[in-house]
Amino acid sequence: MRLLLVEDEVDIQSFLRRSLEEAGYEVKAANDGKTAEHLAVEGTFDILIVDLGLPDQDGITLILRLRQLGVRAPVLILSARRSVDDRVRGLEQGGDDYLTKPFALAELLARLRNLLKRNSPPSGEATRIRVQDLELDLLRREASRGGQVLQLTQQEFVLLEYLCRNAGRVVTRSMILDKVWGMRIQPDTNVVDVHIYRLRGKVDGAGLVPLIRTMRGVGYVLKDR
Amino acid sequence: MSSKTDKKPMRSAAWRISLWATLAFAFGTMVVFVFLHNFVAGDIQRRGDVWLSGEVETLGDVAEHTPKDALYDRVVGEVAELAEHEVPNKEADKSEPDDTVFFLQSASDGSLILWVGAGSGEEPLKAIRATKILEDHPTDVRIPGFPIPYRVAAISMDDGSRIFLGLSERDELRVLRYLRLRFLLLWFLIVLLGFSIVFFTTRRMLSHVRKITEAASHIGHSELDARVPTTRRNDEVSQLALTLNRMLDRIESSMHQLHTITDSLAHDLRSPLTAIRGKLEMSLSSVSDGEHAEPIVAAIDELDRLTDFLNKSLDVAEAKADALRLTRSAVDLTELLRTMTDLYEPSMSENGLRVHLISNGPVEIFADAALIHRMVANLLDNELKHLPADCTLTIETRAEDGTALLILEDNGHGFDSDVLLHLFERRVKGRDSNGHGLGLAFVDAVVRAHGGTVSVSNREAGGARIAVSLPLAERQNTPAPIASASASN
Repeated sequence: MRLLLVEDEVDIQSFLRRSLEEAGYEVKAANDGKTAEHLAVEGTFDILIVDLGLPDQDGITLILRLRQLGVRAPVLILSARRSVDDRVRGLEQGGDDYLTKPFALAELLARLRNLLKRNSPPSGEATRIRVQDLELDLLRREASRGGQVLQLTQQEFVLLEYLCRNAGRVVTRSMILDKVWGMRIQPDTNVVDVHIYRLRGKVDGAGLVPLIRTMRGVGYVLKDR
Repeated sequence: MSSKTDKKPMRSAAWRISLWATLAFAFGTMVVFVFLHNFVAGDIQRRGDVWLSGEVETLGDVAEHTPKDALYDRVVGEVAELAEHEVPNKEADKSEPDDTVFFLQSASDGSLILWVGAGSGEEPLKAIRATKILEDHPTDVRIPGFPIPYRVAAISMDDGSRIFLGLSERDELRVLRYLRLRFLLLWFLIVLLGFSIVFFTTRRMLSHVRKITEAASHIGHSELDARVPTTRRNDEVSQLALTLNRMLDRIESSMHQLHTITDSLAHDLRSPLTAIRGKLEMSLSSVSDGEHAEPIVAAIDELDRLTDFLNKSLDVAEAKADALRLTRSAVDLTELLRTMTDLYEPSMSENGLRVHLISNGPVEIFADAALIHRMVANLLDNELKHLPADCTLTIETRAEDGTALLILEDNGHGFDSDVLLHLFERRVKGRDSNGHGLGLAFVDAVVRAHGGTVSVSNREAGGARIAVSLPLAERQNTPAPIASASASN
């Protein structure tokens, strides 16, 4: 996967480049809008990360310019601003995504994956998800482990479905809040953790291999192997 | 709004001003008229009295020089002449017996000597006896059987008898009554005209003021680039509009400056925070044992708290300056609370708390959904952190009188009385609180930015009560140009 990273802060650029390369992306970086424009037109990228506060121009202007030049790749917008610009919302509706600084790396990677998935042709919506011996029937809204049906509430099923769709990858608390509850909040209490504990109590019963793991300081992961 | 005042003119300032102005005008003119009326009445009477005194003297002379037997005829003639000549504007109607003037002579013992006039003369004699009449000073005498009093002048004769000459006050009173009627009619018309002129002028003038008020209150709740309407005339009202617009210019520019400052502050702090967080995460992924990971995790947690604090501080700062930027959409408060209660319920029950959600159907507000989410999260975090185990939290949403109400009641310890008054100020927190004291200040800031209010109190039955009221969404989706003004406030 070829990725164009447009970010002027040297510190942020360097750690993003390292972690993105670790995650398997082929990264090209640009410090300003002009360089970014050259790179984007010359090479073909699968995805772009654009910071809004560039030294020579506004990130939004750059994205709109690239779109005019025929760059179709999805964009993940990074913003250190306080309010979300109407134009960012417009881009979001057009299939791009945004992330406010500071962010968790796991969230950045997850949003990149989502953007790429959105961009690839749909491979037929599955009606079942299988992760190891855990099985989810999306039509009947039923989960079972090792053939044993789990007694989950509606909310718990949605949470488990989200973990399963991201099996093997870390999801942060704010990602869970965003995707499962549809809100971008940062509670200073352990509300999400308690939901996970409860779900874990039902999924990882006594004598079973624990599937839901806590990644301290980052979030949770559902182990896929 | 604009139709509201038109429908109830009696509640408008124009109505009150014109009412009071008219009352003052009516009272003033009435006082002037009463004064003039009394002056005219006194003058007519004085003239009548002078005439009457002269005539009674003449009649006295006549009586003295006329032999007794010829006196009656002579007096009849004189009296008829007097009656003819008397006051102008005499009524043409002669069908009734002429009772304008009477002549009466009484002996020194009080018996009637001569009577010329309508009737027998007994009644007037009795009435005159009952009244003390001074010479040279005509007096009012009421005679039974005659509805109108007589003005009576007297003169004493040498033989001890007295002569009285009476003149009916009918014509004098008729002149005055005529005067009064004319005045009242004109007075009524002038007062009515004056009232209408004052009412319509003030209403026209105040309608400009009202338009300015509506526009100004609208500006307060939405964009600052709008301006109040100005007129071409150079009167006080257009001066007011111009002054308001100049003030708005200044507010807009300082607001813009505030946004620039908070934005660059946020940007300058968030960029290093992003770099630090990223580096911490990377070093976390490279250490495998828990002992080394622990301080990194703690640092990340602290960093996230710092970020949250930064965001809230800037939001509170902007909201305190009424400069919070909102991206509004239709939000069902009941549905939002249901979702958030679902989110918080497990943590609550883990802490031994019970939650009851009382909903009374959808409550739609036009608000910034993300901010309302954060605001409610703050309230619920607060309850979660401070409510002792075994308590119950009751959450209610309902629509009432054009406002959406969100009420949180618990049966915990309530707020400390010394904290209660300063709850919405920054950094104010309870003694055992470990937060940064921004929670309720943030709640207040968000609610105020939406044009609502928060009230916090201790319940009589014990525990705290937080009531948030927000303006309900308007029926139509397209916000009317000048509409939200006092439907909200």
